[in-house]
Amino acid sequence: MAATMPSHIPRTTEPDHLVTVLRPWSRRLLLQQTIMWALGGLISGLCIASLLLLGARLFPWATAPYWAAGCILVCTLMTIGYSIWDRPSLVTTAHQIDRRLVLHDRVSTAWELRTQSSPFTNLQLQNTLTHLQAHTPGQTISLQPRRITLATITGILVLLTLLYFLPNPMQSILQQRAALHAQITKQISTIDKIRQNVQKQPDLSDADKKQLDQTLHDVETQLQHAQNETDAQQALANAQAKINQLHDPQASAKLQSQVDAGKSLQSSNNSGAQALGQALAKNDPQGVDKALQKISSQANSLSNGQRQQLAQDLEQAANQSNQSSQLSSSLHQLAKSLTDGDTSEVSDATKAVSSSAQQTQTTQNQENTLNQTSQDLQQAANNLAAANNNTNQGQGQNQNQGQSPNQNQGQGQNQKQGQGQNPNQNQGQGQSQNQGQGQGHGNGNGQNGGGKQQGKSEQVYVQGQNGQGTSTESNGGSGNVQSGSNVPYSQVIQHYNQQAHDAIDNSNVSPNLKDAVHNYFDNLEGQQ
Amino acid sequence: MTNEHSFSSENNPYLDEYRLPDSNQPANATGPQTVTETLLSEEEVNQFITISQQLEQELQRIVIGQERVIRELLLVLLAGGHALLEGVPGLGKTLLVRTLSDALSLKFARVQFTPDLMPADIVGTTIVTEEGESTAGGGRRVFSFQHGPIFANIVLADEINRATPKTQSALLEGMQERTVSVGDRTRPLPQPFFVLATQNPLEMEGTYPLPEAQLDRFMLKIMVNFPRAEDLLRIIDTTIGNQKSQAQTVATGDQLQRLIEIARAVPIASHVKEYAVRLLLATHPDQEDAPEQVQQYVRYGASPRGLQSIIATARVRALLEGRFNVALDDIQAVAFPSLRHRIVLNFDGLADNITAEQLISAITAELEPA
Repeated sequence: MAATMPSHIPRTTEPDHLVTVLRPWSRRLLLQQTIMWALGGLISGLCIASLLLLGARLFPWATAPYWAAGCILVCTLMTIGYSIWDRPSLVTTAHQIDRRLVLHDRVSTAWELRTQSSPFTNLQLQNTLTHLQAHTPGQTISLQPRRITLATITGILVLLTLLYFLPNPMQSILQQRAALHAQITKQISTIDKIRQNVQKQPDLSDADKKQLDQTLHDVETQLQHAQNETDAQQALANAQAKINQLHDPQASAKLQSQVDAGKSLQSSNNSGAQALGQALAKNDPQGVDKALQKISSQANSLSNGQRQQLAQDLEQAANQSNQSSQLSSSLHQLAKSLTDGDTSEVSDATKAVSSSAQQTQTTQNQENTLNQTSQDLQQAANNLAAANNNTNQGQGQNQNQGQSPNQNQGQGQNQKQGQGQNPNQNQGQGQSQNQGQGQGHGNGNGQNGGGKQQGKSEQVYVQGQNGQGTSTESNGGSGNVQSGSNVPYSQVIQHYNQQAHDAIDNSNVSPNLKDAVHNYFDNLEGQQ
Repeated sequence: MTNEHSFSSENNPYLDEYRLPDSNQPANATGPQTVTETLLSEEEVNQFITISQQLEQELQRIVIGQERVIRELLLVLLAGGHALLEGVPGLGKTLLVRTLSDALSLKFARVQFTPDLMPADIVGTTIVTEEGESTAGGGRRVFSFQHGPIFANIVLADEINRATPKTQSALLEGMQERTVSVGDRTRPLPQPFFVLATQNPLEMEGTYPLPEAQLDRFMLKIMVNFPRAEDLLRIIDTTIGNQKSQAQTVATGDQLQRLIEIARAVPIASHVKEYAVRLLLATHPDQEDAPEQVQQYVRYGASPRGLQSIIATARVRALLEGRFNVALDDIQAVAFPSLRHRIVLNFDGLADNITAEQLISAITAELEPA
């Protein structure tokens, strides 16, 4: 093998010259490395993005396209950054050149021996430079990606495009969730307004305001974290239950006592007593004050008989208002003071009656506020349910598959609301609410439609059986509650029984379950 | 050249290769290589390439169809080592060695090893001779040393495996120390000194296979293969005739000695050295990096002499290839002749007819450059 001896061998080595020669090679290698790594990162990002979009077709994931785009971007940028950070050193460059140009470790040896000066190292360096000068970085290190790389990128891009543009079966679920989320957001803003209104109520104590605000804040938080309508409805129901616990259980009784006392006094012959009776019946504290002043002023001018008659009427009214001990005692005290003819006692007794009427009014206002808040929450729940029903209607596909978890849950809620208004511009509200929750476990397997149901979906609500748990009942409202006519229990049961029979006979329910429903209502009818 | 003088190890440059550095020397001094390199001139490097090319061409002109053997023989020669040539009779082994001695104008001695050959027949013996004029009472009788054939520059130990181990071991000191100890005196061998031994792989009956210690002294084990058809035609044309080919002298012994020093100065990068080390370690079955075949079939791996052999011959090969540095290719190329006689197979390897070449191929295939 002939030796390639250079014609002119330098006497001294120039290490810097080797560095100068290697720099362009190093830069070219860095550029190639960056391109290759970037393409690798792009392929990785595209693969991950494809997997994400594929997953978004199996599970509802609204932000999957954004995550996919982010993955592509991040992977590409990360690989570019890494390639720049891990730039080839001159030693690496020397080894790379040796390998690519098949220089038999000339360059790497020359780099390692660059600081030595000997005839052999001089010869070696000169020989290396001679071989290096026969090549250029641009010709040797190609920046063009390999065909297999381009083909891979193209293939994954096609797959990604198909995954992005083809209809996603999870889209309907996502739209439903988005609608629910929007509705929840809307209801949260409504609840926020309720909170502000509560803070403005003068009749509520600070403790009640704080408790109400905390309850509403909690329901807002729970609504924000609600995953489905059931969670949201549950949160609203819980909040309503908490608010209902704030009601004064004696408030309605007191009011009724006051009304009864007022009605009793209206039949009195004394004009002051009649005025007092009307004011008490209307729960009008100002009218009570005026009537009491009138009674006080008449007290001295009345004969003994008239006074005794007035005291008797007041005693009768006091007996009618035995549910309100304060009003009853104050009326007793007024009657006694009138009988005794003690002016100062009459004055104290009228103050006591006035205070009692004022107290009843305040309590009633608080109850009205609580009722209003509860009503607003109920309205929010109704809006939420209505919105969800609208979203469910018109769904293209509804697929049920799998096995039921052998768990039945039922929830029932009965609510009656009434509003009344009298000519004196007093408003009253009444609400009757029954809530029950039941939970039971069964052993049977249920399967509902293994295929797809096209068209309009239908929601079936099954009444809970033998509901357990808390059951609150509150009656509020001032006086004239127009809640409609009373319906006998037997008619209600019969009506519900008929509805249940109709519903269960028209659905795909197993005979055993049908029998269970029939037996349930038969038992209820038997209990009447 | 039968010079006799007292032996001094300080004057023997070949011992320097294995000598530990003196603690009084500066840390950056690297022994004789540095001294050699400071005296080395670029013209001498040129001269090395020229002479080695001429020598190779001259050998190829006389010995037909054995280019690889000639190249490996040159590697041993210029690395200052000894070679064991293995091949069937009639392939030109003796011709090759004789042509080499002719081309280098060196003293050549051939020893035909037989079972009755004695060590004294190789190293020489002390005999009684008369000194001065013959008188009635005879001359003065003195003991004088009769040099054996080992006192030559190139010693051809033909069919070395036919002599007894005792006789074979007579070569040990000469090959390693380049001295011969007879009686109470140690005599240096002429420089340069090469032992080129041959052995026949066919007729193994009545032979004494060389022990591992003896084999380890040979830098390379060169396999002499049968020539190809076109080479045989050329052999007919050049050898069966009236004209006898005679090699022309290319270099003297002193020049060859200088070429050896030049070859030792060829630089070698650290990653190439590390590769050679890993290559050697991979021949040991107890190494984790050893290939599965090595772990299964090898009893003992190559000794550190194998590594020295690889590096020394790789340097020569680099120069012969026109390079001034040792490459990984050089290491891989010389790994076969350097290691094939240093790997001892176990029973499984022998039973499965595994060859050292197969194992070395597996090692080089699995071993990645650093």
